[in-house]
Amino acid sequence: MNIFRILHHWLVPHEANNHRAKALHHEALLAYVLLLGVFNLGIKFLHKQAPDVLGYATDIRVEQLLADTNAQRAQTGLSQLTLNSTLSQAAAAKAADMFANNYWAHNSPQGKTPWDFIVGSGYRYTLAGENLAKNFQTSDGVVAAWMGSPSHRANIVKPGYQDVGFAVVNGVLNGEETTLVVQMFGATNAKPVAQIPQVQAAAPEPAKTVVLPKEPAAQTSEKIPVVSAEPQTIIQPAAQPVLTMGAVKTTPLINISGLTQRVGYVFVGLLIGVLAVDAYVVSKRRVVRLVGHNIAHILFLATIIISGLTLVRGSLI
Amino acid sequence: MKYHQFIHGFVLFCILAGGALTFWYAAGDTRLQLTAGVVTSIAYVAWGIIHHALQGDLHRNVVIEYILIGSIAIVLLLTLAL
Repeated sequence: MNIFRILHHWLVPHEANNHRAKALHHEALLAYVLLLGVFNLGIKFLHKQAPDVLGYATDIRVEQLLADTNAQRAQTGLSQLTLNSTLSQAAAAKAADMFANNYWAHNSPQGKTPWDFIVGSGYRYTLAGENLAKNFQTSDGVVAAWMGSPSHRANIVKPGYQDVGFAVVNGVLNGEETTLVVQMFGATNAKPVAQIPQVQAAAPEPAKTVVLPKEPAAQTSEKIPVVSAEPQTIIQPAAQPVLTMGAVKTTPLINISGLTQRVGYVFVGLLIGVLAVDAYVVSKRRVVRLVGHNIAHILFLATIIISGLTLVRGSLI
Repeated sequence: MKYHQFIHGFVLFCILAGGALTFWYAAGDTRLQLTAGVVTSIAYVAWGIIHHALQGDLHRNVVIEYILIGSIAIVLLLTLAL
């Protein structure tokens, strides 16, 4: 009986709670803000203390990334990309450099471009590109996010590419446990300059056989290098498809993403429910009171929680 | 009066739809999504205050309520983004 009274007092507007469900009073709303804030900080703290207990479940595998990438290309009628060990080495070197120098960008703070890593690995490209992703939970999620971004999608479905390399690496970036995915594309089918439409006319002869253009401001990472006047110096047989498989799989006791989503959806569901009951009862009793619009609050919170569905921890560049 | 209510409702719809569309557009960029969430929340609080001021029933308690609801939304998004 007591519980019923307490629930009635907290959930249904009546005289004793000033015709406003107690759960919607200012003190209660402030308590929700503080509790959510403490929950948020508590998760961050516990994750740092015991990542095996409270962490991020991750399952990203190179073979699945390759299969998803090629499936996307197949849908647009393009040829399959071959997993190239040299490009995978370049991708691994890029990931290692990002962790070592603590940056999340296509170009390093020291000015190293993706093409430096590709050339450094020994892959002589005529066309190359790079996609980056961090903190996604699954391989499918990574490729889906890339396909959702026009510049990353353009790399995946670019007809000129022949090879692809991946690196999936766990480390600490900016003080945060991070899973990096580096995808590097390439093609080595160089032909004489005059026969390649996308190759620009040779500018002043550079020291290297491949001149790299300036980094664009946009997110896109693809590059079409200017090729020197001596095409034979850049023509190489396609690199052997020696597979360098990589994967990151972590299974903590409690998955943070699942926990926060469940808490968030249950909390908002309850709050919307209380707002709806409050609005219905007051409207039925025709009580006049000086409060905000419950319906507007419901619409606002529903918009926030539905939008939150698209909120993923991972990010692209 | 009904015309004003329609306009107020339409403005609220634009704020919420704009926020949701920006969220959808920014999928994959958590920072931009959170920024969109904060901006939408601020716009909602502003809408509530202006709406009640125009209706002639603006009170300090109403302002606090909108600010608290907006704060809940922001902290909620920060939690979902963990």
